[in-house]
Amino acid sequence: MSKLVEKRTVDMQIIGDWVEPNTRILDLGCGPGVLLDYLVQSKKVSAVGVDLDLTKITACVRRGLAAYQGDMTAFMRTFPDKHFDRVICSRTVHELGDPTGVILEALRVGRTLTVGFVNHGFWKNRIDMLVRGRKLRNPVYTTEWFESRPANPVTIADFEHFCAAKQIRIARRAHLAGDWHSPCNRLPNLFAGYALYDLAR
Amino acid sequence: MTNDIDTLPAAHIADVTPRHLAPGEVGLVAPRDFVYNKPFSFRSGQTIPGFTLRYETYGNLNATRDNAILVCHALSGDHHCAGWHSATDKKPGWWNNLIGPGKAVDTRRFFVVCANVLGGCQGSTGPSSTNPETGRPYGILFPFVTIGDMVRAQKLLLDHLGILELHTVIGGSMGGMLALRFATDFPRFTRRVLAMATTGRESAQAIAFNEVGRQAIMQDPAWNRGDYAKDAGPRVGLAIARMMAHITYVSDASMDRKFGRRKKDTAANDAYTFDVQFEVESYLRHQGQSFINRFDANSYLYITRALDQFDLAQSHGSLEKAFASVEADALVVGFTSDWLFPPEQNRQLALALLRAGKRASYAELSTDLGHDSFLLESEELYGLVRAFLERDQPYVFDYAI
Repeated sequence: MSKLVEKRTVDMQIIGDWVEPNTRILDLGCGPGVLLDYLVQSKKVSAVGVDLDLTKITACVRRGLAAYQGDMTAFMRTFPDKHFDRVICSRTVHELGDPTGVILEALRVGRTLTVGFVNHGFWKNRIDMLVRGRKLRNPVYTTEWFESRPANPVTIADFEHFCAAKQIRIARRAHLAGDWHSPCNRLPNLFAGYALYDLAR
Repeated sequence: MTNDIDTLPAAHIADVTPRHLAPGEVGLVAPRDFVYNKPFSFRSGQTIPGFTLRYETYGNLNATRDNAILVCHALSGDHHCAGWHSATDKKPGWWNNLIGPGKAVDTRRFFVVCANVLGGCQGSTGPSSTNPETGRPYGILFPFVTIGDMVRAQKLLLDHLGILELHTVIGGSMGGMLALRFATDFPRFTRRVLAMATTGRESAQAIAFNEVGRQAIMQDPAWNRGDYAKDAGPRVGLAIARMMAHITYVSDASMDRKFGRRKKDTAANDAYTFDVQFEVESYLRHQGQSFINRFDANSYLYITRALDQFDLAQSHGSLEKAFASVEADALVVGFTSDWLFPPEQNRQLALALLRAGKRASYAELSTDLGHDSFLLESEELYGLVRAFLERDQPYVFDYAI
């Protein structure tokens, strides 16, 4: 049997750098468990993922990961304060029906919350909207509006505003350029394609 | 296979190959008896001088003796979970769709063991067995049996078979309770636990249904305080208990799909009688009648009592404490239409395991077949079971981004 090889992405690498070894991790919207598998292998964390989709849960189980099929807020409500060292919300936050509820609950059950999202305010997106006047369609935003799940177009400025309004402390941030690879140090709301935040209360 | 069959056209083979010899089937199987000759003490403090467990095995135990999968049956189930006892059997074992060479529980890879529970009536020692002190059936002199007692007896069987650790213990419904109990009571021995359509303790509603079943049996004059001959007993009461219990195993939607309001042909002439009119009535009566030919009424009382008494949380103070000893990886599976042991009760098990710091997963299948959904022929379920049992080799990450 050939080895199953997976690409590590830069956001995975950054989250991996932020994660302390041998800690307890919760991944909200874990998908097929690629990030969690990476963290288990590289940081020996004890991990659990939550997802709504049975095929994703099956994929996690196949990797030997613990995964829970169900609503993430209902899941977190059954855990005591600070049960997890870190909660991760990677590429999920824009799809949350109640982002405030989820983020505050995640900050209750976790000491730290890591959020990673695509910056909707990226300059190419702005020009695209200005020129075409239609929903974004590119390799990141792949679907027509009528084939998409409802999503909040979150920008870096919006997200930092949210943290200020809810008095959430930003412990760390990382912004990646439009290639989602090289760091972006200048005007991130305009030039960053991807953003990562470490939050605490 | 013989040369004759090899030379037949492919289409022909399907016709002449007996189904029990078809590829992917465990084929003809035979039960065996494990006889334990030392005194066995029940949780209640009562003792019997020894016991027998009837069991079946499929596949082979490997050299390191760690590829064994124990399958635990539900209330009315037995040790015959796969294959056929004879070429003329009407049906294979009760979980034949899941177990076999190349199936989700792959007998080419795993050594599968399934035993009839202590207190049962399919060959294992129970209230219908002969009490050596009196020379007559135990009846209600048989000790009260708990899920923990059933598990301890099966552990003695597994020791006898030379199994050093269980790769996985699998069970649905009551079988799920046994599986969980294996994980809490024999943590070193039990490496994985797969519990489906089960609960850490029955709700009042589930206990209530069991009580109606018991009353149907005990109010039947032929029950005679549990003292009846082997081929006699409370046949009416047991059939009614089964008819009612059967309703709790299915769902409104699945019954409606199967029977609707269809009537028996014979009912067309006269609607104003209490004879069977609807197909569902006829079906339930058939379920009741076939049950009395294979099940002992006293066993039904004992096993439903064991189900009612089962309470993982109470015996340890909380579910988390009950699971503190667990070393196994767990997978709990709930089914959306199961109203006997609903998804919520299954979810609670996985959540408690996680709160106790264990590796546990919860998956939920959307089905409309009710509690018996765990026996469903479903590729989704097979895929999940296979994923949990076999797991891929670790994924290798390419660090060159």
